[in-house]
Formats: sequence, structure tokens, C-alpha cells
Amino acid sequence: MAPQQSSLKVVGQRLPRVDARERVTGEAIYPADLKLPGMVHARMLRSPFAHARVRRIDTSRAEALAGVLAIVTAADFPELPVGATIPMGETGYDMWMVAQLNLARDKVLWVGQPVAAVAAVDVHIAEAALALIEVDYERLDPVLDIAAAMAADAPVLHEHVFTKGVDPRPRTPSNVCSRTVIARGDATRALAEAPATAQIRVTVDTAHQGYLEPQVAVAEVDANGFATVWASTQGQFTTELMIGRMLGLPLSKLKVVPLEVGGAFGGKIAIHGEAIAVRLAQKCRRPVKLVLTREEVLQGGSGPAAGALIDIAVGADKDGRLAAIQGTYRMDAGGLPGLSPSLLMQASAALYQCPNLDLQGFDVVTNKPRTEAYRGPGGIQAAFAMEQAMDALCQRLGMDPLEFRKRNASVTGSTMPIGTPFPAIGLTTILERVGAHSCWTDPLPTGRYPRGRGLALGYWRGTSMTSAGHITIAGDGRPMVTMGAVDISGTRTTMAQVVAEEFGLPIEDIHIHTGDSKSVGYSDGAAGSRVARTSTAALVEASRDALGQLRARAAEKLQCAADQLDYAQGRFHAPQPGGAAITLAELMQATLTDGAVVGRGVSTKLPLGVEIGAHICDVEVDTDTGLVTVLRYTAFQDVGLALNPAAVEGQIAGSVVQGLGWALMEGFDYGPDGRLRNASLLDYRMPTALDVPPIECVIIETPVPNVPYGVRGVGEVPIVPPAAAVANAIARATGVRILHMPMTPERVLCALKG
Amino acid sequence: MKMLITCTVNGETHAVLADSRDTLLELLRERIGLTGTKEGCGNGNCGTCTVLVDGAPVNACLMLALEAPGHDIQTIEGLSGGGVLHPIQQALVEHGGTQCGFCTPGIVLSAKALLDDNPNPTPQDIRHAIAGNICRCTGYDKIVEAIAAAAIQARGP
Repeated sequence: MAPQQSSLKVVGQRLPRVDARERVTGEAIYPADLKLPGMVHARMLRSPFAHARVRRIDTSRAEALAGVLAIVTAADFPELPVGATIPMGETGYDMWMVAQLNLARDKVLWVGQPVAAVAAVDVHIAEAALALIEVDYERLDPVLDIAAAMAADAPVLHEHVFTKGVDPRPRTPSNVCSRTVIARGDATRALAEAPATAQIRVTVDTAHQGYLEPQVAVAEVDANGFATVWASTQGQFTTELMIGRMLGLPLSKLKVVPLEVGGAFGGKIAIHGEAIAVRLAQKCRRPVKLVLTREEVLQGGSGPAAGALIDIAVGADKDGRLAAIQGTYRMDAGGLPGLSPSLLMQASAALYQCPNLDLQGFDVVTNKPRTEAYRGPGGIQAAFAMEQAMDALCQRLGMDPLEFRKRNASVTGSTMPIGTPFPAIGLTTILERVGAHSCWTDPLPTGRYPRGRGLALGYWRGTSMTSAGHITIAGDGRPMVTMGAVDISGTRTTMAQVVAEEFGLPIEDIHIHTGDSKSVGYSDGAAGSRVARTSTAALVEASRDALGQLRARAAEKLQCAADQLDYAQGRFHAPQPGGAAITLAELMQATLTDGAVVGRGVSTKLPLGVEIGAHICDVEVDTDTGLVTVLRYTAFQDVGLALNPAAVEGQIAGSVVQGLGWALMEGFDYGPDGRLRNASLLDYRMPTALDVPPIECVIIETPVPNVPYGVRGVGEVPIVPPAAAVANAIARATGVRILHMPMTPERVLCALKG
Repeated sequence: MKMLITCTVNGETHAVLADSRDTLLELLRERIGLTGTKEGCGNGNCGTCTVLVDGAPVNACLMLALEAPGHDIQTIEGLSGGGVLHPIQQALVEHGGTQCGFCTPGIVLSAKALLDDNPNPTPQDIRHAIAGNICRCTGYDKIVEAIAAAAIQARGP
């Protein structure tokens, strides 16, 4: 097990990122920065209709344009059957869906779905060629929102989709892809009998992850047919599996090199054009670069995050003890089946001990861009409903919302929504810290307009899956770390800290990088708050493996039993004072001809490191314009152990600001034809430095048992509470609940005017 | 149409063949090979491609390449001469003001324009100066702290 926290020297330190220098100088290489000899440029043709059959695609005029080198459509790819999957996590990943996402076959399901791609000598010619491709569409009626999609007579998007989770299996296809039920006790009866209840229905608009770097792929195919793809991806192995499957290419003929990722947040798990770039490169025998435009990112289906229509009813006894939670969660997946709502349903109810639970979730398809995970996927939507319902219940009870949470808080060992006991959690500690903090005890300063203070909780389960890594020892004795994890959150820095700690060396002695898909053991993508935790476990194992191999060499050199040697700070020495000693540098020089020292580690099925946070915010509501200003924001979070507090704060504050963006300003606005009316960063406005206050982070450390260093997930849960915290603050300020997110000035003003 | 453009970037004169449709951003990235300037949106809304033109921050995606001649253009590559980081860069490193890094070159140049003009900015002045640069990772606090620290450093004791 890990050393005591107090004895840690590098882990837990507030250190700068090991890769900060190349970022501030512009030297960090993202895929769009690559320029290969002979490289040509690709552009995609996208559907102008939200729902249509593709009767015919004629590329002959485009092919005739000077400078056009290759064109592909779905006909250039093997047709993947419904049900095709690649391995990923517990359920696998739907490859039929990935294929449609990348290139429509027979039918288009949203405005912006790709139907063809062109490679040309420059991007201007590729763009011109798109206009010359003739597509014969047979238009169908689009279905644009959840209620319309669930109507009995709704046009059906997918003839092969029959609602899963319904017994008996339905006879007719449906836009409801799945139904998920989580229940215990009798919530209906408990609600009917409860002396205090609150009901709420919220609508959440689709929003976007908003990563600043659009999707990019650069592909090169050599004379032997070996393809290399440089990608901006959350997982090089997942990307490789997806490309291989889409092309029917054996994995020994394919390598994915992950470069710097300019933001992802869940939006760079699935591929968006990588396989197309490879097929174009195969056809034109030149390296191909495909860079999506911002409009394509927003409208085309790379992202966004699911919209929602959620009903919650909660009831409590007169002392404020929860009696029942009932919830119906309808998630708008866009044009292709989405994530199971199970995790978001669990998340919204997990922090309350409640005897009667009745949660139903529906994954619904509509003729809008296919949605993707976004940082604790579904968590903020569900919390916007649940935490407002709880706050409304507190108002009915006349009870302080913090006291209400304390009275009902889940604790270690209490039953989770899925029926299993909670592992070690620190919710009680968090709530005590909130109660003692000035963000809660300071009186709310008065302002020109009404002000209010809101509280909301957040939970995210995260996942573990697999991470691998290995450590070779350089000739000077320094560890060279290759991780399977892509770094989207400072992973290189925190993992260098872990390896430095294990070796007893300063962090400057550790070299670390992410391996490509052919140079390190299979690792799942950087998602689900899993990478720091599982990579820590893998690299602790790899460090100890390498040190074991070094110990054997040192024992031979020092002529002493291996188990009698002490090791500290890069040096093996015999136990007696003044005994023989050898540094790692001397040892490697003395054994250079003995072959490599390679320490290997892998983590799979690590215990979960569930994330819990409580957020407090003060707002002012301009009753003349509806503008909501967030005046003060404090986020409390249990992180297990902060590998690097600066990195933890960066994750929390960034996540909160994304949450505030969705809460107040970010939402997709569709016209009646299914066209996105705000497909630019002017009209889809994300928070600037002027839109948000400083975010105070309060870090609490309740280690996870049986996990090296006790690390929890960090990055996802802070996006869960912000919208509810703001909504609760607005309700406290004005007495009015805002039930549609984002809570734009227009919506707030309309609600205030009744 | 291809045309010869002669321009000054980071004090160096470049003569390159460019397309008349090229933006300054394409000129810098594709024709001259200075890829430190990033493209986030292509229509002037995110600030990622900020460069300094005669000392003022400009979205390079909104200026045409053929407007470049006659101006002094500074990109992120021109800031850390001889491998020594500019105080703004150094402060961003130390304060955790860069995460994914994609917005960072633009933020550095917006901050430079601010400090060149106002060596003693308030936190609100800093937020105003970088309001045209979207950062999706940090939540801005650590960037604001870093720029404030760089200002103190630049003013000296």
C-alpha cells in the first residue's frame, strides 16, 4: 500500500505541469499542425436535411474537377451490421452507430451528417468539389424533440430499433431505444402518503462540449499498406479499433498516434473522419489531412451533449426525512442511439438515503446531431431537475437546505440506488465543511436587484476499465515512462509525480509520454474520471516491477542478497552503516549489456473512486432584463487524495465554469427544419472571463480503500451541480423556479413576468 | 489566384506565395509554417488565433494575408527568444494557467498587449483584456492570477 500521506515528497505537491513549457510557447504539436510531404486536404459533404433517404450519389462532376484526387462515400466502406461492436468497458461500443456517424448510408438522420468526402490538392479545391457532388434525397418528416419522438404516430428514425428493457419485446420499431428502471419499495404510495411533496418538470437544451480544437485527422498509408493516423483523441486504442473495423483493416496494418488534445470533455471518444482520411489516403496514395470547421463541430454531430425532459417528484415526512423519489428521465440522444441513462439516474438520487425509489429512463432518438458524452454525461441535466426538486421540498418544509441534506445524506455503507452498499464516502464531512465556511455563513450582501444563495449536490460514479504503462530505465538510471493513457487533464504531470514518489527521485528525473497504439499495452480512453486513478495503479506496479529488476542487478553487483538491500532516492545500499552502495546511474552503466530493464504495470477492475461535491453560489437577478449574475461560487469536493492540488483546482474550476455556461447561456437552437440556428461561437456563446466569478475550490480528502494513494476521480462531478445551484439561488432570490436550461435572460424574464 | 506576399513576422522578413483567399492565419500556419497560432473557429469568435499586429491583438482568421505587408506582426513564436520565457509565459507555467493549451498562445498575446499598455492592471482589467479569448479548461482564475503575477514581476521591486 502507499506510504502515509505525511511522508509523501512529490505526490500531493502543487507542481507546474511537466508539459507546460511547450504549451505557453506554442510548440506543443496538435494534429492540425502536422505537414507531411505531399499532403493533401479533405473536406466533407454533409446532409442539408434532417431526415431523408439517400437515393443516389453522383460524384462524377466533382471527380472531374482539376486538383481533386479522391472521393469516398459509404459505398467505399464495408457495411457493418446492426449490433456490430468493438470492446470497450462493460458494454462494448456500437460500431453500426460509429459507421453512420462518420458517413450516412441510405438515410440521413440530421442536418450535417456526412454523406461524402473529397481529397484535393488544397482545401479551396476540396471545398469547391463538394458543390459538384449530386445527391438525390427523398425527404422525410423530421422529428425534432423528445415529446414528438415519443408520440405514438411519430415518424420512426430506425426500423431496427425496438425499445430495449420492455417485456414483452415490442412488435413495432420505436424512437425510444431503451427503457431503464431503478426501483425499490413503493414510491407511488409513499408519495401519496407523504405530508410534504414537491414536483418539478425541467427541459434541458442540447449543449456542446465546446473543446476549442475542432476534430482533426492526418492519415498516411505506406507502400505496404500500413496506415498511420495522427489523431486528437481521448483514446488511441479505441480510435484504432474503430478505424480498423470501419475499414476492415487488420490491426497489424494500423497505428494511431495520439498528439496533443485541444480539449475533449467526452467529445473525442468516437471517431469523426479518421477512417475517412485513411480511405482517402489509400485511394489517392498521398497523406491526407481532414480538419473540421467550427460549424461542422457544432452542427455535424461531433459532440454535442444530450438534451433532456425530466420529471421529478419527492416526498418527505414532517421532520424532513425523505420518503420517496420518483423520476422520469427522457434523454435526447440525437439521430443515433445514445448512452444508457442508468448512470445519470443513479447519480441524481445517490446522495440521499431514501426507502422508496422509482426511476425510469428513456433513451430517445430525434433528427438532430448524434450526441456524445460530456463530462459526467447526463449528470448536470439530472441534477438540474433533482436538486431543484429537493430545494422546492425544503421550501415546503420550511427547512434549511443544508440541514435537509445532512438529515438525508448517504454515508459509507448506505444503500446505493442500484442496491449495493456505498464504498467509503465523505459526504457528511463535506456538508460539515459547507456549514462552517463563510460562503454559507456570511450574510448575503444586498444589491440593486434581488439576490439569492443556492446549494446543490453532485455525485458521479465514474468507471475504472483498463490502463497500462511501462517504465524503461535509461543509461543514466532515470525512469522513462510510457503511459497508455492520453493526457487530457494533466495526466503526464500527476503520473510523473507518482513515479517520482515510487523511485524516491525528483520529478525532473522522470521522462513521461503517452505511447501510440503499437508501443504500449492496451488502455481504455481518457474518460469516466478513470485515468489518474487507474494509471496511478498501473504505474505503481510498473515502478515496483522495474525496481525489482534493478534490485536483482544491484544484488549481483554488490554481492549481497537482494532482499537485504535497502533502496532510497535512486540508490541501493547494503543495510549496515557504511556498507556498499550503488546508484541507479552506476548500476545501469555497469549492466548496460544485460538488456533492458522494463517494468510493466496494468490496472483493470480497480475499485471505483466515486466523486461527490457540494456547490454554493450567490446570484443577483436583474429583474428588468432577466440577466443572472453569479457573484460568488464555492465548490467543495472529496478527491480522495489530491495528487497535485493545482491540477485538481484546475479541473474543478474548469468544470464549474462549463456548468455555469450551460446553466445560463449555452443551448442549441433548432429551427423547424432541424437546422441549428446558432452554429457559431458568436451565437453559441460560452463563458468568457467576464461572465464568471472566481471559483473557490475546497478540497476534502477521504481516501478510497484498496486504491494506491486513495485517489478518487476528480474532473467530472464539478460540472454536475452548477445549474441546479444557480437555479436554486434564483428561486431564493425571486421566488420563481426556472425550469428551462440554459436559463437565458429571456427565459428568466418570461418566468418572472409569469 | 496565387500572389507573392512579403511581410514581417517576429522581426523576420518572409516572401511567400499565398492564395488570394488566404487569411493571415493561413499565411502564418500553412505558408510560413508558424503553427503556434491555433485555429478554433475561423470567424473571429474565440480568440484562439490572436496575434499582435503593430502591437494590437487581432484575430488572425479575420485579416487577409494580402493585408499583412507593411505591418509588424508578432506571433507566439516571437515571444520567447533564446529559449527564455516571457514573464507572462513563465507565470502561466507556475500558476497552472494552461491546461489543454490550445487557447494559450492567444491568451499570452492578449495579455502582452494589455501589459504593454497598462503595467498595473486590476483583476477586472485582466478579465476584460482576455474576454475575447475563450478558454474551455481552466475557468480563467489561474490565467488571471498568472497575468497579475507577471505584471508585478515586470514592474520590478
